[in-house]
Amino acid sequence: MKNNDAVKKFFIYLILALGGIIMIFPFYWMISGSFKTAAEYNSFPPVWIPGNWLNFDNFTKAFEQAPLMKYFLNSCIVTFSSVTINGFITILAAFGFSRLKFKGKEAVFALLVAFMMVPFEMQVITNYQTVARLNLIDTLPVLVIPFTSSIFYTYILKGFFDTVPDSLYYSARIDGASNWKYLWRVMVPIARPSLVTIMLLNAIASWNSFMWVQLVINSDRNRTIPLGIFAFVSDAGSDPKLQLAAATIAVLPMIILFLFARKYIVSGVSRGGIKG
Amino acid sequence: MSVKKLKRETHPDYIFNRKYEPLIYLVPFAIGLLIFTIYPIINVVIMSFKEGYRLSGNYTGWGIGNYQFVLTNKDFLSAIKNTFIYVLTVVPISTVFSIIIANLLNQKVKGMAIFQTAYFLPMVTSSIAVGISWRYMFNKQFGVINWLLGLFGVAPIDWLGATAGQAPWNIVVIIIFGIWNLMPFTIILLLSGLQNIDPLYYTAAKVDGASSTKIFTRITVPLLAPTIFLTMIVNMISAFKVYNEVIPFWSGKAGVLSNNLYTMVYWIKETFYSKLRLGNAAAASIVLFLIILCFTLLQRWIQKHFNY
Amino acid sequence: MQVKIEHLTKRFGDFTAVEDFNMVFDDGKLVALLGPSGCGKSTILNMLSGILPSTSGKIYFDETDVTNVPPQDRGVGLVFQNYALYPHMSVLENIAFPLEIKKVPKEERNKKAEEMARLVHVDQYLHRKPKELSGGQQQRVAIARALIKQPRLLLLDEPLSNLDARLRLEMREEIRRIQLETGVTTVFVTHDQEEAMSISDKIVLMKNGVLQQEAGPQELYDNPANLFVANFLGNPPINNLNGYIKDGYFVLEDESGKIKINNPNVKEGQQVVMGIRAESVAIKDGDHDFEATVKQRYTMGKEELAFLNIGNQTIRVYLSSDYEFKEGETVFVKLRDKGVFLFDKETGVQI
Repeated sequence: MKNNDAVKKFFIYLILALGGIIMIFPFYWMISGSFKTAAEYNSFPPVWIPGNWLNFDNFTKAFEQAPLMKYFLNSCIVTFSSVTINGFITILAAFGFSRLKFKGKEAVFALLVAFMMVPFEMQVITNYQTVARLNLIDTLPVLVIPFTSSIFYTYILKGFFDTVPDSLYYSARIDGASNWKYLWRVMVPIARPSLVTIMLLNAIASWNSFMWVQLVINSDRNRTIPLGIFAFVSDAGSDPKLQLAAATIAVLPMIILFLFARKYIVSGVSRGGIKG
Repeated sequence: MSVKKLKRETHPDYIFNRKYEPLIYLVPFAIGLLIFTIYPIINVVIMSFKEGYRLSGNYTGWGIGNYQFVLTNKDFLSAIKNTFIYVLTVVPISTVFSIIIANLLNQKVKGMAIFQTAYFLPMVTSSIAVGISWRYMFNKQFGVINWLLGLFGVAPIDWLGATAGQAPWNIVVIIIFGIWNLMPFTIILLLSGLQNIDPLYYTAAKVDGASSTKIFTRITVPLLAPTIFLTMIVNMISAFKVYNEVIPFWSGKAGVLSNNLYTMVYWIKETFYSKLRLGNAAAASIVLFLIILCFTLLQRWIQKHFNY
Repeated sequence: MQVKIEHLTKRFGDFTAVEDFNMVFDDGKLVALLGPSGCGKSTILNMLSGILPSTSGKIYFDETDVTNVPPQDRGVGLVFQNYALYPHMSVLENIAFPLEIKKVPKEERNKKAEEMARLVHVDQYLHRKPKELSGGQQQRVAIARALIKQPRLLLLDEPLSNLDARLRLEMREEIRRIQLETGVTTVFVTHDQEEAMSISDKIVLMKNGVLQQEAGPQELYDNPANLFVANFLGNPPINNLNGYIKDGYFVLEDESGKIKINNPNVKEGQQVVMGIRAESVAIKDGDHDFEATVKQRYTMGKEELAFLNIGNQTIRVYLSSDYEFKEGETVFVKLRDKGVFLFDKETGVQI
């Protein structure tokens, strides 16, 4: 019996390890590739481990050939603005839908939830026309403004606000707190885990956003990182090692974010599903 | 006592709620929503019936010409075909793999943090960026994938290229990439489904002397079935919108032959953005929406009828 | 502060939760609003706090009409059944919160909060979060938070129902102690008669939105206004014997026995219910009121509880365990004067 269990355990770990290696391999290949010398990169059978992990030549060259720093900065600005503005608006809206009473609230909210199934791709044509009319094409704000109001995040946060007992609200109000004060002093601190989750999901979505950026950004200086490296890669003649180095730079912040906030991200995804 | 359905004057909340107050909280949200979600949805429907519609807003007349065009357009039909092939391979395959992995992860394994990181990382990283790594892994001459297959005596496959105007392996590339991309999300949902199964069922089955295989097929899978269905449908909905997965491999083109790997979203984006045929793109996006709608309704129905 | 309620009525659509309720709560007293669930006691409490508007009627705090004054301006402290502590704030922050809202400087409000914490004996937990406290401690914190504003009226909604039996005994004495120490007029809602009896100065007993009786606990027990009040108070519940009046006698409905009564208010032939408290029965040879058969006996330490059959009706009585009866034996029963009441069967009113 004991022996049997040990064999079973061994196979569990074996399969998990093999699967895990397959899943993680593209990342390893990307990162290791960006440290390889030309000889190492072009050898076949492949060189698995770069000879020198401190060989930053590829990074240096990549930074020389394309304004990666600028892309990176743009991505930071866009992601930060999106997360804060969207977060603020979502908090207000979730509070409005969860706590305040007005005529037809349930019906309005049900309608919004129905809108959630409409793919963004369907709205993209009109949105392009709208931002063109607002003269926002090829600016950074255009990457933030259309995404300030998110039904999905509002839906998640409202769901959490709904679980806060009414008695907390009445208590605070009897003590003289205004709605505004109650929201920021009581509701938001209590909802912190949910709030962190939606902000993380939003940050990931913002950072990785591609199609919209591809449509509305024309000039090099306004590119965010995914579009920037896409352009870098598409430019004929650029070296695969440099491309991998650039990709590593694009992916690294999200890997770090994931390592630090794995629990929040995983719980957020399993609770709300993910935005398609 | 339920206070939910009471009239205005009898609900305690109204005492604290000045009439204009909800406005303060909802107006910022409503503005963004109206301009960038609701208006576009209505507008795209209208646009799809405007014939000869251009970016300038001019159009030649009303009718169903756009729909006739897209439903007879060879490229769009091939985009529909490709998209369906993609959805119907990626979703089932990633689901099967994910069931296995989720079930193993649920066996109280040590080093959960490491496994989670390995399995979930693709979810948070840009497919455009990681796709570059995949692109070189699929390289015919130097790629690790062909090297690995070579160990088993398989001749090098021209994954990304074409021979004699045929590129049969192109779609396999995005399918593999798509499966890899979709697995993290699927594993997470299935894992949380597994964790919701009462461990008492397992204890009871073990007491009854059931084998691990028996437990898996007779208890885990049936109890997990609603979650599996749901996950598959959510995945299908997102897989129908496949676009980013195509981009990294051919420098933004849809396949090596430039048009052999159109997906629906790719075609819509091309038609609207490069060809400036907004009416056509609008009609195509509504076709996409209707397909997604069918699956969404199926999802709602399953959620209603299969909740243990 | 004195609270005066006049003709207070509350309707939810067609449903009348409170009907024409009139009441005075005297300054500095602890009053229990008692009744079964759905009797309107919580509705009254909510109208006192102001979170529910009344349909009609008036509420006065001393001489001021507060009927239309919003809750935050009434100067009431309200403690909810689930305590409603803010989970992310420490005990100190929770207690100080009402003063924080009033923009009292931090130092001052913390000093005040510590004072309150001492009053309710949670001063050693000031920096803990609510979830690190027991139910009783959370209750204390909630009371401290309600008291820190120095409310004119303290309202407690089912303050003990979330506690286990042991804590409940402890906390009800604590509530009494705190109330006496602060002298704040206090109204609490409960469905537990024992709770109400043990600590309140006055009990207001409600049923279906209508006031049944208001009186001190002992008065309520010794002189119930009607059958509902008699049945609601006491453990074990009062015994009900059905019968009618004939020639100045109470005759059991199956005519298996009768008892002479000296009550000038009874009418010949009137259908009545005789309420007999379990402790108001003695076993006595000779001069007796009824013959009864011992059905079952349960030992309860110094006493025992016996079920006696009188005719086809059964009563529960406390007997001294000195008596040795076998089940099935016939005994003679004598009723005491105290704890025996006659009610009109139709109206339930005590005769």
